Amino acid sequence: MNTSNQKSQAELLFEAQEKKKGIFRRNVVLSWLGLLLFMIVMFSGIEIRSANNTTSFSTWKFDNIIENGIEKRTRVETIQFSLPFGLPNDGISLATILIDGQFISDNLNFVAGGIAQTIQISILSIILAIILALLAALGRLSSNPFIYALSTFYVSLIRGTPLYLQIFFFFLALPQLGIVLKGLTAGVIALGLNYGAYMSETFRAGIASVSKGQREAAIALGMTPSQTMRRIILPQALRFAIPPMGNDFISMTKDSALVSATGFVQELMWRATKVGRAEFRNLEALVMAAIFYWVMTLLLTSLQARIEARLAKGDR
Amino acid sequence: MHHPIVKISNLDKYFGHLHVLKNISVEVPEKQVVCLIGRSGSGKSTLLRCINFLEDPSHGTIEVDGIKVEAEGKGREHQNLIHDVRLKTGMVFQEFNLFPHMTVLENVIEGPVIVKGMDKNQAIALAERNLDSVGMLFKKDEYPLRLSGGQKQRVAIARALTMEPRVMLFDEPTSALDPELIGEVLNVMKKVAQEGMTMIVVTHEMGFAKEVADRVIVMSEGELIEDTSPEELFSNPKDPRTKALIDRYRTAE
Repeated sequence: MNTSNQKSQAELLFEAQEKKKGIFRRNVVLSWLGLLLFMIVMFSGIEIRSANNTTSFSTWKFDNIIENGIEKRTRVETIQFSLPFGLPNDGISLATILIDGQFISDNLNFVAGGIAQTIQISILSIILAIILALLAALGRLSSNPFIYALSTFYVSLIRGTPLYLQIFFFFLALPQLGIVLKGLTAGVIALGLNYGAYMSETFRAGIASVSKGQREAAIALGMTPSQTMRRIILPQALRFAIPPMGNDFISMTKDSALVSATGFVQELMWRATKVGRAEFRNLEALVMAAIFYWVMTLLLTSLQARIEARLAKGDR
Repeated sequence: MHHPIVKISNLDKYFGHLHVLKNISVEVPEKQVVCLIGRSGSGKSTLLRCINFLEDPSHGTIEVDGIKVEAEGKGREHQNLIHDVRLKTGMVFQEFNLFPHMTVLENVIEGPVIVKGMDKNQAIALAERNLDSVGMLFKKDEYPLRLSGGQKQRVAIARALTMEPRVMLFDEPTSALDPELIGEVLNVMKKVAQEGMTMIVVTHEMGFAKEVADRVIVMSEGELIEDTSPEELFSNPKDPRTKALIDRYRTAE
């Protein structure tokens, strides 16, 4: 009797905690939506002005007008409505940022066309990075001093220099040695080498996380060292390494923007800066690109969360 | 006397300066169940692990079912001999060491399929027979995470048996178990012994030694101090250190 009573009390406590958590989560979502709405309003071109005892609400937009026989694109105000009273502080105006909607709709398809290239660079680079990271991690665990040195040398050199420099090195410095790489190739090699160096640490930790007993059990069954690594150690190490690898891939989609610096890879960032500079609409172009990157990141993050949940549920 | 399955001759093992096995020679004939007992640090686990070269002995020879390996051996030939010895020995660990990313059945067929190159269906048939005999067939599609300690150890025994070894090595197989789960594992081990398997068991389970073992070897500080039948050991221990060990067991009982 007493125990069942205690249990229900514990359940009540648990329920109260869950409810508190639920309220917190709901408020976080509402705050997010509020912040999003605030940002949309900040870029809406709305202006509220108070002067001479009237308060007017107006919207601004860019339009083509003819001035002295020359067609010109300029800001045009449309007063939507006015109220017959002023705000306490007369003469105040609240203006938001005006962006050129026409420019965005004209160039949306062109900039969005870079997404495919961005994803292509990211996937090619992450594949190269995984291979290099695996080799570097195995090298780190090698008892051969040269292989150990090779692995640590690579990681140290890459981590000791900027990614931006590495991309330029493959694109601009190698031609001096007679090796001319395409912008895409140079970008993928640089990103792959760079991420490989960072990810090798993740892989090494993953391999180290597999207990000594696992290796012994495999050896006792008669497995060779390579069978042990392939069948027993690596599958467990990779499972450990998948969540950080997901983070790396998400970072990579954004760092792929640096490849635009070569000027020959038409990915998202390159396309955004190209149209932005041509028409002096950098604000619009960069906002557009930012939204694409952000949405891509959100989608990848939710995909990653789903994969992690599946791994956690399974057979660990 | 049967032909010896395991023959250890003049075995020495050093960990740095520490002399943990001191010139040990012992033979285990076919179908014998030997319990190795002694206080922790006496070298009993190290001796067991030297038999399948999980520990490299410093000097001496290990012979398992006619395959003779010199401790000082080097090179590919030596590695091949060690590999052959490992195929003749099955090992059960204190910490079970099941592969967590594989189901029970996958754990058990891994060795035969990958190491021996056995046909998968044949391996499954054999694995299922062994899982049945340890009473774990009903969990064959579960992952080890979902098993109790006793169940894990029974699967580990089935995994070792499915390699069809000539001798089974048990390294404190019940020491990591909750007391109420020890019985089920000891029963399976008893069954394996009754089926005629040669067994070397490092254990603290005096009850098991008394009931199942044909022979008990007592170790202390890297030496074999007593090598006798369980009846003799419990009624008439010779070495004072053995006597202390038995007395402690009696008071614990």
